[in-house]
Amino acid sequence: MVQKGIQVTDQQESLQARLPIVVALMAVVASYLIVRLITLQYQPDTVVTYYNRLASYNYNENRRVLASRGMVYDRDGHPLASNTVEYEIGISPSLVSSARDTATKLAPLLGLNELDILRIIQSDQSWVSLVKGIPPEDAEQIRALDILGLTIDSRPKRLYPQGTLGAPILGFVAGDDTILQAYRGFNGVEGYYEDELAGRVRDETVSKIPFDLPEIRASEDRGADLVLTIDRDIQFVVEAELQRAVVESGSTGGVIIVMDPRTGEILAMANYPAYDPNAFYDVEDPALLRNPAISDEYEPGSIMKVLTMAAALQKGVVVPGDTYVDNGLLQVGGIDIYNSDRLPRGVVDISQILVQSLNVGAATLSTEMGPTKFYEMMDAFGIGRATGVDLEGEASGTMFTPFDADWSESNLATNSFGQGVAVTPLQILTAISAIANDGLMMQPHIVYQVVDGDKVYPSEPSALGRPISAETAQIVTDMMVQTVQDGLDQAQVAGYLVAGKSGTAQISTPLGYTDPDSIVSFVGFVPADEPRISILVKLDRPDRYWGSLVAAPVFSRLIERLVLVMEIPTDEVRRGLTAQGGDVHAIWNG
Amino acid sequence: MNTRKWLQQAVRRTAGKHEQQVFYLLVLGVAMALIVGALYLVNVAGTSTIGRQLEALLLEREQLEQSNEQLRIHIAELRSVPRLIARAEELEFRSVTQTEIEYLYIAGYRVAEQQTVAPVEVSPLRLPEYDETLWGWIRQQVDGMFSQFETYNQLSSEG
Repeated sequence: MVQKGIQVTDQQESLQARLPIVVALMAVVASYLIVRLITLQYQPDTVVTYYNRLASYNYNENRRVLASRGMVYDRDGHPLASNTVEYEIGISPSLVSSARDTATKLAPLLGLNELDILRIIQSDQSWVSLVKGIPPEDAEQIRALDILGLTIDSRPKRLYPQGTLGAPILGFVAGDDTILQAYRGFNGVEGYYEDELAGRVRDETVSKIPFDLPEIRASEDRGADLVLTIDRDIQFVVEAELQRAVVESGSTGGVIIVMDPRTGEILAMANYPAYDPNAFYDVEDPALLRNPAISDEYEPGSIMKVLTMAAALQKGVVVPGDTYVDNGLLQVGGIDIYNSDRLPRGVVDISQILVQSLNVGAATLSTEMGPTKFYEMMDAFGIGRATGVDLEGEASGTMFTPFDADWSESNLATNSFGQGVAVTPLQILTAISAIANDGLMMQPHIVYQVVDGDKVYPSEPSALGRPISAETAQIVTDMMVQTVQDGLDQAQVAGYLVAGKSGTAQISTPLGYTDPDSIVSFVGFVPADEPRISILVKLDRPDRYWGSLVAAPVFSRLIERLVLVMEIPTDEVRRGLTAQGGDVHAIWNG
Repeated sequence: MNTRKWLQQAVRRTAGKHEQQVFYLLVLGVAMALIVGALYLVNVAGTSTIGRQLEALLLEREQLEQSNEQLRIHIAELRSVPRLIARAEELEFRSVTQTEIEYLYIAGYRVAEQQTVAPVEVSPLRLPEYDETLWGWIRQQVDGMFSQFETYNQLSSEG
């Protein structure tokens, strides 16, 4: 008993001796913790944010929410670009219970080899993407298998229900919703109107707590819809005619643009060869993805004579009925300018410069005008500057002036008939359309309306300027009509007065004009006295050399079909309706 | 007093008033806690159920929107121009000719609304007068040289 008492006393003594040490240690630790807690309260903002984010990860999840991309319609409401989803199937091998069974079930649905799937499942990777681009109905079948470890993630996909129709106008959408591959539009309206179409992409924080109500996404996040000025039926006719023209003429490619000269609305814009925007990734040559109608520069050839004539008339250098002496040769800046057939014409009326497409006559006009007036007028027609059309990828063309190092005096002569100057097809059509529109040059545009929820934003016609007066425009129109009537039978259309001009351009190479091929074109408008449409036809490297032989018949054939689609009555019928008080041409360019 | 005895006394209501009050307060506290807990659980369960229902509805909405989209695409494909032309040919339709169209005059009908044209500001090219003389040529070369210097200076300052 005593022994026991002694032992207890020893323990107590020992405890009493150690207790202060333990208490002291605890006090130190507690003090450290208190100090640490206090210092934690006074951290820099970056550290506080970091800790807040760490804490947030425990009960929140960050998610990128894509808005539904806006639709694209033609002017009559036919969908040209729409949305769908496709699925990416992935697997987390460590979660799969029966590898062989899973591989057997998945192989036929994914179209993969069973052994390949088995090898993936037996790997030590945390997650593997098995296949992408699975359509919704197949994804449902896969989901029904209810396989543990299988992930089925939806990915947005842009779909173009009209196939290749209007592909270069529309552009395409690439990427998916992952941060590495932004889902965005390229080229055409998809690229130009990316901000409007994409809607509001949000990075939102979603609660992991089960009883937190899910946030309902606001509908205003959705992208705006675009209604284009394109008419699907006209676009189809134009594309069909272009394809036929390219094949029949043995050309390497071509462009046709149809525009309403009164408003600048582009009714159709076709390129050949074209691509399918649903499968843009299959296109081997990236150049095919561009829109040559706005991005390819070429020397326009004799079509420029129309602008030279308009400029000379506007500047008062010549008046209708003036004549000049055509010797078949003109020397300017050290080079010889010939007519295309190298023959002189003697004393000729200036209208013959367009009718007979006389290079010497055009060069005479430009040299008479002088470089200052000539280049100011060409600039007024928008040569050498982008039109500002609402499509991605527009080129500005090239026009040297006397104050550019690359300019020489011979340029003044050659530019007058479309050599030494580069334009885009849309640029030249916009300039010629000014003549069709009483001298008022309209801003070409492709979007008719932007529809954002219940708000509609119509695009108003706007003018780029008035390079020539209405009187000058009328005189040049008459000359273009005479050009078709006297020199271009191939461009005539029964029942309609056609104003137009053909162009044949040599292809410039680094060694000069040594390429034996040509770029042929025809530009015109119908009906000449009350224009409803202006059209440019351009074909690259056809079997036959001249624009009058290759491009003019295409223009004529196209007009014959378009007047039916667009319900443009013949001149006789139209005048009869107008005489009764009918109004088939109501637009005011005030 | 051990706990058992205290409890017996409390239950028999024979013990002191103080213990009885403590007991009732404790019972009341437990009951309140149970009620609050139950209410909380009911509320949380309700909210969770609504959350699940909402999620299901949102998913259903998304699926319906997707299927609507698919249907719209299908309709658009069915109404594409090549299909319409093929169908028209099956039904033995043919393209109209200009002579078969009759245009009618309808009093007061306007084909297109009058539109006002807005001007776009474009700064026109203003070239200095080029006089095509030797002096003009020299001036052009000098101007060209100065413009090259200016371009070089601009690039240097930007760089």
